[in-house]
Amino acid sequence: MAGQGIERRQVLKILGTAAAAAQVPGFSRWAFACGHAGNAAAQIRPATYQPVFFTTGEYASVERLCDLIIPADETPGAKEAGVAEFIDFMVANDPEAQYPFRTGLTWLDAESDRMAGKHFIELLPDQQMQLLEPLAYKEKARPGSEEGQAFFHLVRDFVVTGYYTSEIGYRQLDNPALKLYSESPACPHMDDPEHTRLSPSAI
Amino acid sequence: MAKQIYDVIVIGTGAGGGMAIKTLCEAGFKVCALNAGRRLDPEKDFRFHRMPWDMKFRGLDDPKSRGLSYGYMDNEYTKAAWDHEIPFTTAPGSAWMWPRCNAVGGKTNFWGRSSARFADIDFRAASLDGYDVDWPVTYEEIAPYYTRVEKMIGVASTVQNRPSNPDGSYLPPMNFRCLDRILESGANKRGVPYLPDRIAQLTQPHNGHPQCHFCGECTTGCDVGAFFSSPYFLLPKAEATKNLELRTDALARNILVDESGSASGVAYIDRKTKQEIEVYGRAVVVAAGCIESSRIMLNSKSRHWPGGIANSSGQLGRNLCDHLYGESARGYLPQLVGQPSFPDHVSDSTIAWMPRWQNLDNPQQEKFIRGYSVYPDGGCSDFPWYANDLEGFGASFKREIKRRYPSPVSFTVQAPTLRSDTNYVDLDPEVKDPYGIPVARIHFQWDENVLKMWEHSKQVCADVLRAAGGIFEGSADAPEIPGWSLHETGTCRMGNDPKKFVTNKFGQTHDVPNLYVCDASVFLNCTDKTTTISILTFSLRTSEHLIENFRRGDH
Repeated sequence: MAGQGIERRQVLKILGTAAAAAQVPGFSRWAFACGHAGNAAAQIRPATYQPVFFTTGEYASVERLCDLIIPADETPGAKEAGVAEFIDFMVANDPEAQYPFRTGLTWLDAESDRMAGKHFIELLPDQQMQLLEPLAYKEKARPGSEEGQAFFHLVRDFVVTGYYTSEIGYRQLDNPALKLYSESPACPHMDDPEHTRLSPSAI
Repeated sequence: MAKQIYDVIVIGTGAGGGMAIKTLCEAGFKVCALNAGRRLDPEKDFRFHRMPWDMKFRGLDDPKSRGLSYGYMDNEYTKAAWDHEIPFTTAPGSAWMWPRCNAVGGKTNFWGRSSARFADIDFRAASLDGYDVDWPVTYEEIAPYYTRVEKMIGVASTVQNRPSNPDGSYLPPMNFRCLDRILESGANKRGVPYLPDRIAQLTQPHNGHPQCHFCGECTTGCDVGAFFSSPYFLLPKAEATKNLELRTDALARNILVDESGSASGVAYIDRKTKQEIEVYGRAVVVAAGCIESSRIMLNSKSRHWPGGIANSSGQLGRNLCDHLYGESARGYLPQLVGQPSFPDHVSDSTIAWMPRWQNLDNPQQEKFIRGYSVYPDGGCSDFPWYANDLEGFGASFKREIKRRYPSPVSFTVQAPTLRSDTNYVDLDPEVKDPYGIPVARIHFQWDENVLKMWEHSKQVCADVLRAAGGIFEGSADAPEIPGWSLHETGTCRMGNDPKKFVTNKFGQTHDVPNLYVCDASVFLNCTDKTTTISILTFSLRTSEHLIENFRRGDH
């Protein structure tokens, strides 16, 4: 690859001082000063988060859904990325999403009550996955579960958005925006224009 | 106190206005420039180096105000720069989206940077296919101005030898990414060109401007000025001459005329004080953008010009053209599934293009006349949008998002509408803006020809994607609504006949010789290319013509 990426945050740190920035032609002092100061503090969360929109019970379900949709494996998942808090914040600011979330969470408890006589949060992890599968996969869908499917996809959209706009999500994808490049990055497979001979992925 | 008379009043500071201001100031003219909005403060207004998690709403905007956003560039990163206080209306049956950056520099602060020259085949299109009229200029007349503009702003590309795409003076091109080379092989199999775009993004330091650092956030602004924008490339040069007085928050209301009907200045609203102020000049340049320029001129009614200034032809506001934009095809490249991530995002859609290949040898070859271009893009982007199309949840879902990350691709068509009597701008008879000025009313519908191009592009792009070994997943149900591209042209078309055209071939209005138009309003149509570099080029030519007229003693 032509452009050797530099960790964007390292650059931010290096160029954070006017003295360093002045050595790069044309880079004005604000070029990389991006309001990162204080960010670390913002990431320290109280041990128990007090939801703004959701009730404590609803919030527990949202947090559990985050964990089910994007779990931790080799990399941290949605729970570690604070996605439940993101959802609470966004829904609190989004009147249009409030009703679907509230009725959806009610539906979820009603469905798990029908299935196992318990609220969603009290189900075993396997049962929770069993409940979600007909909502998530077309071939497992049951007639009459359209409401549940719509709710599942609403939650999934919020989880995906929250996770992949977090630093953890960026790192999971190895998002190239984490770095800057000294030249226009070029395809490194010059002898293979159609890219039919790439080594099979390890991912 | 004697009233101050400037040499020239320029309305607008974007590509057209900025070039006029620079050219005139450097020639020693005293210029007063009016800009409807404020100056941007790069420190506060350019947020493109912030990560989403540093933004209150992750760059997504406050959901409560999201419905008020206009277009793809208007988001939490650029919020402060867009300004929609001045309303507009659409006629029944018409649709129009109109994102406006009234800040100093206008839309050059956030533009897409694709910078292809118009060609002989564009200027002589009517002779070739019999529709409408030719431009009053030849490519040979314009080419030297394109060269000067390219050298001024820096455009990266390669020599491509295509009849619809005359080559220019270029910096080294952006490199092709893996996805480009794969799509290029598919395009070549189908006889479709796949080439480096002409892109005003500095692949090396240029005229004191730094090289691009490839952060990939160009459409939210560049605070180091590594691509052309009026506030980084033009206005500082004008300000250095001390010949410029730039008035901000100055919303032009109408052009003033003297007893002979010549332009004598501009009346504007100071948006901060709400006061109306007059400023006087020996000549006036209108460069407020196609729709706003025609609105100002239509609002400039006087005894001499009851239908709006310089409108004896009745063509002021008429002939509005636009680019149809839409996602012709999307899908993914299985070759890249599971591969390591790659910096595909470094230039938002403008690394490669598929320049017009239709109707080149024979103007009637296709079911439509003229032609369109396509911008392919894809790969690792800021956000895995394709996740929405994947099924399931859990570890397998997360893994699949990661595996697919380098693979998505999409094709965006850029197709020109034809001139039409039914597409135009007039003044709304009832609605007024907060300052009591009648607003622009837009009459616009896609024409049959452009919709045929849209259908054609969907078929060809799906075919190219499949030929590249890609998986085709669909096309947009419908194109974006008109206005989306921000490439509107027409409304003050140039031509030799004063009965049919608003300006002459130099952008000087036929009726009012000291009134000039320096934006895309003068273009006869929008061609398959983007408009900014041509606005700069025609504005440079018009400005020098104005200087010549002054020196001859005309103004």
